[in-house]
Amino acid sequence: MCLTRAGKVVSASQGRARVEFFDGRALDDVDVSVVNAKKGAFVEVFGNLALGVLSPAEAKRRKQAWTEVARAVGATRE
Amino acid sequence: MKADGVLFHAKHAFMPNSLGYCGPDEKGQIQRDLEGNRSDEELVQTLQKFEAAYPFLKLIAKSAGRQVFDYSVPEAYWIGNRLLDLVPVSDFYSFSHHEIKGRDPEKVREVFRQLDGTAPPHHTFYVMSTYATTAVPDGPNVRNEAKRKIAELVDNCRISWGTVRKVGKNELQVEARRVSVDDGGLSLTSPVVKRVRYNPEIRPFGTVKAGDVVSIHWNYACDVLTPRQVKNIARYTDADIRLVSRLMKSKEDRK
Repeated sequence: MCLTRAGKVVSASQGRARVEFFDGRALDDVDVSVVNAKKGAFVEVFGNLALGVLSPAEAKRRKQAWTEVARAVGATRE
Repeated sequence: MKADGVLFHAKHAFMPNSLGYCGPDEKGQIQRDLEGNRSDEELVQTLQKFEAAYPFLKLIAKSAGRQVFDYSVPEAYWIGNRLLDLVPVSDFYSFSHHEIKGRDPEKVREVFRQLDGTAPPHHTFYVMSTYATTAVPDGPNVRNEAKRKIAELVDNCRISWGTVRKVGKNELQVEARRVSVDDGGLSLTSPVVKRVRYNPEIRPFGTVKAGDVVSIHWNYACDVLTPRQVKNIARYTDADIRLVSRLMKSKEDRK
């Protein structure tokens, strides 16, 4: 199933972006056109579609939560 | 029974994992085990690493007093069955806060508050309610292009079902209903014909035929459903849509 994952847009062009998630993973072809996110923005991604933009404070909180998840399931891939 | 539950779960978890949307980087193991019809300990360990699906199974299993990979447990989660009705809403509420870390606690509270404790731990409900509570600019009134993309996302991510009309080498032509997003909430369209991938090496797809009904996840046929399962997935999906549409309407009313 898909989780809502938060991450940072590290590059973006024509509505598509590479997003590096707080769980250590990344996706190269995230559709950021619905939220119009630019490079450097923190986004909330479901599947391959960004559905929300996070404030830096909210992003920090989500990063912490993901670190806890990764620790719990031993699924980090660093 | 346990073996069937492991494979049933793996079939439905496989495609979003292979697309990189969830679960561990398992380097093709799930596909190999499905093709070999093997539900060994290694596959179980891989499935336990899914950050959301596995906790959902544990929640349902605990409430029903069954083993996590008893066939009925993943069946409840992906398709829907009466085990969903056995999960106390207080347990689901607590679970949503403490086990699913990716979600905003305030949004979880919003879902439960608006639905008066009727939320089921069903995969489709999770997908649809996540969309309904995520901060898309202008909420449900997004422009048409965004609306189409969101409907497609929800449709791909939920488990849908379709009747096979034509069997190709690696592709099935199925008749299925899609999700539509409109101002009144979510709904299903009239049946449309679409193409989905399938793997003939995975049982029972070697003998799939026109008239069979298959479950679908990310445009990939996961399994052939029984008539009981078809009835259940339709019933639970309808209930999910009604609940999430209520959620969307209450969000609109508060604007």
